[in-house]
Amino acid sequence: MELGAVVVVPARDEAQTLGLAARESQRSRYSSRVPILGNDVLHSWMDLVRKLGVGSLWLTSCSSDEGLPCSELAGLARQGLDRLLVIKLKSYAEMDLADLVRFHCESRNPVTEAQDARGHLGVWLLDHLALHAAGERYKVSCTSPGSGRLPYQFRGYAKRILSARERQELVGDALTKACAMRPVGTEIRKQVWVGEGVKLAASVRVIGPTYIGDRAVVRAGATIGPFASVEHDCVVDCGTTVERATVLPDTYLAPGLLIRHQLVDGGYLEDLRWGAVADLHPAALGSRIQGSESRRRPFRETDVFSEADSASALDFARSSTASRSWLQVKL
Amino acid sequence: MKASGETILPFPCSSRSGGRGALRKDLLRSLRASASPVIVDFSHCGILNQDDVDLLLECVAQVAGRDTQVLFVAGSRVNRVLLEVTRISSLVPVFNSVEEALAYPQTAIASNAEDLRPSQSQNQSQNSGARK
Repeated sequence: MELGAVVVVPARDEAQTLGLAARESQRSRYSSRVPILGNDVLHSWMDLVRKLGVGSLWLTSCSSDEGLPCSELAGLARQGLDRLLVIKLKSYAEMDLADLVRFHCESRNPVTEAQDARGHLGVWLLDHLALHAAGERYKVSCTSPGSGRLPYQFRGYAKRILSARERQELVGDALTKACAMRPVGTEIRKQVWVGEGVKLAASVRVIGPTYIGDRAVVRAGATIGPFASVEHDCVVDCGTTVERATVLPDTYLAPGLLIRHQLVDGGYLEDLRWGAVADLHPAALGSRIQGSESRRRPFRETDVFSEADSASALDFARSSTASRSWLQVKL
Repeated sequence: MKASGETILPFPCSSRSGGRGALRKDLLRSLRASASPVIVDFSHCGILNQDDVDLLLECVAQVAGRDTQVLFVAGSRVNRVLLEVTRISSLVPVFNSVEEALAYPQTAIASNAEDLRPSQSQNQSQNSGARK
């Protein structure tokens, strides 16, 4: 039986995923597409799908509170797919998808949803029957809870990436090897990872576990760590401390600051303990580094979007009833 | 404004342009002159900007090396976060309200007394031990 895969990216991340220019206001701080220790969560799911032997997958989008695009999924089924794996990109999970498929076959449900102790993980397996039914009942959710459906209970490592706190927890787990995610870079000493082209002043203190991403600049007297993640193309100015905190890409931090239990993205700061959000711009404490978009390495999946893929994606999008974008990615 | 020995001074936040220069001078003069604890209240300010942060640091500098204690009333969590980020909160106690700030010196005195008690009893036991 032919198995297809669809990854549904939250709509706010769509511009970034599809290679469009994202304005500051559109950027999401909790986006599953913003790198985590240099990792792309979409890629981790793509790797899992690849291990399943699926040769290509479709990327599409919907808003976080919207149901899945069932009619379009039914359109995929009409193209000859018997079974469809649907992943809504809201979590990082180290899932054995082959085990999910096995469970789905044994339970003989038209739809199997993966759950963990905290509930839905945003992963479904749909049979062609469920897909055809969804196509006929256009607006009925193909994954709405049905009676008698047995969910797949996932007991491995999973972390939702819906808040700054959850994101920081994943960073901590990855830095301490509590999950399979590893920082993208070189481990220069125990639990200290550094990306390519990083510039560290001689007087910088780096306390592990810590990650400093590609092309980051850390100036004299700064302290990074423990449990800090400074993503790519950031500048941490003299004497600033980043501890148990995340600095998202292309962020400038002024001298002498204490960033502790916080997430900073340009001029946006969120305190993880109090949930307070502060604007760093008026006090000139932090800002977005302008012009770094051109230096930013594009996400790797854009490399595998061939023109043919884009053309077929457009054909499919035209043939479908919705206006959302679809892209086919070869794995 | 005075309340039971403490001086409460409104902070001339830059979002209110009228007479800021004069208020700023008054604030710094009061800090220089005061021997009693000074509470600087910026709970009425919106988000602190660069000028506000500079002035708060000047306030800290005015009392540095003197016995005068300065206390800040931030009002909002956002301003508290900004004070933590700028490390000002590690130099000056920060409170949510004037009432909390007014209660602070008494708390500090009480806790100092608490701190002294065990050390005094320790001294006594040490002394008695020495006598033995």
